[in-house]
Amino acid sequence: MSPAKGTPKRGVSLFSYQCMKNCSATLEDYFEDLADMGATCIEILASDVENYPNPSTAWVDKWFGLCEKYGITPGGYGHWCDTKLYGHRRLTTDEAVANLVRDFKLANLLGFHRLRTKITTETRNNDPEPGWEKYIEKALPFAEKYDVVIGSEIHDPTVISTPHVAEYIKFIERTGTEHFGFTLDFSTFQDPAKINAAHFRPPVDDPASTREDLLGILPYVRHCHAKFYFMSEDFTEPAIPYEWIVPTLVDNGYSDCIISEYQGGSKDDAFIMDQLRRHHVMLKRLLGY
Amino acid sequence: MVEKEIVQARGFRNTRDAKGNVDGFQFRIKTGYYKGIWLSQFRVGDAKVDGETIAREDVIWEINGIEYTPDEMLLIGDTYWQVATPATVKIRRPGGLEQGYHTVGVSFGWYCNYQAPERCHPQLGTNWAGYYWERELLLV
Repeated sequence: MSPAKGTPKRGVSLFSYQCMKNCSATLEDYFEDLADMGATCIEILASDVENYPNPSTAWVDKWFGLCEKYGITPGGYGHWCDTKLYGHRRLTTDEAVANLVRDFKLANLLGFHRLRTKITTETRNNDPEPGWEKYIEKALPFAEKYDVVIGSEIHDPTVISTPHVAEYIKFIERTGTEHFGFTLDFSTFQDPAKINAAHFRPPVDDPASTREDLLGILPYVRHCHAKFYFMSEDFTEPAIPYEWIVPTLVDNGYSDCIISEYQGGSKDDAFIMDQLRRHHVMLKRLLGY
Repeated sequence: MVEKEIVQARGFRNTRDAKGNVDGFQFRIKTGYYKGIWLSQFRVGDAKVDGETIAREDVIWEINGIEYTPDEMLLIGDTYWQVATPATVKIRRPGGLEQGYHTVGVSFGWYCNYQAPERCHPQLGTNWAGYYWERELLLV
């Protein structure tokens, strides 16, 4: 029997607005923009939290006030597990766990259940550092306690067939955890041959993940970053095959968030806001809502 | 308001000691990165004024109202520096700078966990848009 169709929510990551972020846009400006394009969930980065990692109660109240006012729910919380925090040494396992738990608590406080987690890497291919299981496994009971899913990101240039993805799946199966999985970034499906000047990014020669690859990891996909570098006037991303990515997720019962993430490198606010709207026209057409 | 430029126009002025004597000058920068960083991830190099180099050891960095030497910051992994909060770069110089235009600049970068060593500058880590930033500013 085929699974019931999924009903993912359309969202936007504040990463998309990075050129505005260190200027004068306020948190409410972003909520207003999301609501304006019909997005119903939001992704923030840990660094979007005022006075991170210790927001005031007034800021937390403001956060929930904005969610209520604009009809937007917390979708994803992007954080980093930086074990190379100091130049002269790595964090100990306990220090790494403590920093993870600090983000779990904060995500929980702000209503997030999905994390985009960057595990320390030493390679361009995002291979996790040796020994990553030690601190991630020790953090799992806390992820359960604070009701969050650690979502290790699969992002270009990593493809789904990269050995470390299989290593993560082995870890999930061995521990039986429901609190570790993948944040799937659609950049892993981009066709390098179709990247053009409008994508605002240098050409790459990385391979692309396939539909079959996606089908193989679906049970472990807990959060999605709908990455795009350029949306054309006909509402397509020329280098990323959205036309089968979104239907494959829906047909297989995916009902978490699909978060738009613009990474095209333009510094023009108006252009980016238009690109996000083009992206949401495409998502609306693919989802039917 | 934070300006789009890395070196900020506002905040460029002479500084005074407790007795009111001009003892140096300061200017402000932001990283321009998409996220904040822990102080221990920040790396700085030398500063410059009108072509003259000022060694990194002689530059004081004020972040969130607290002054640090470059080496002190390397050990502080629990204080977060937000993207929209400019840092103040302070340089000791009895008498300060004269009224008028001056070109001031400083080198910096950062290390984050997802940056592979081969993509990093050996001392300054990463700074996608370049390591040295300067701007001609008017001292009132």
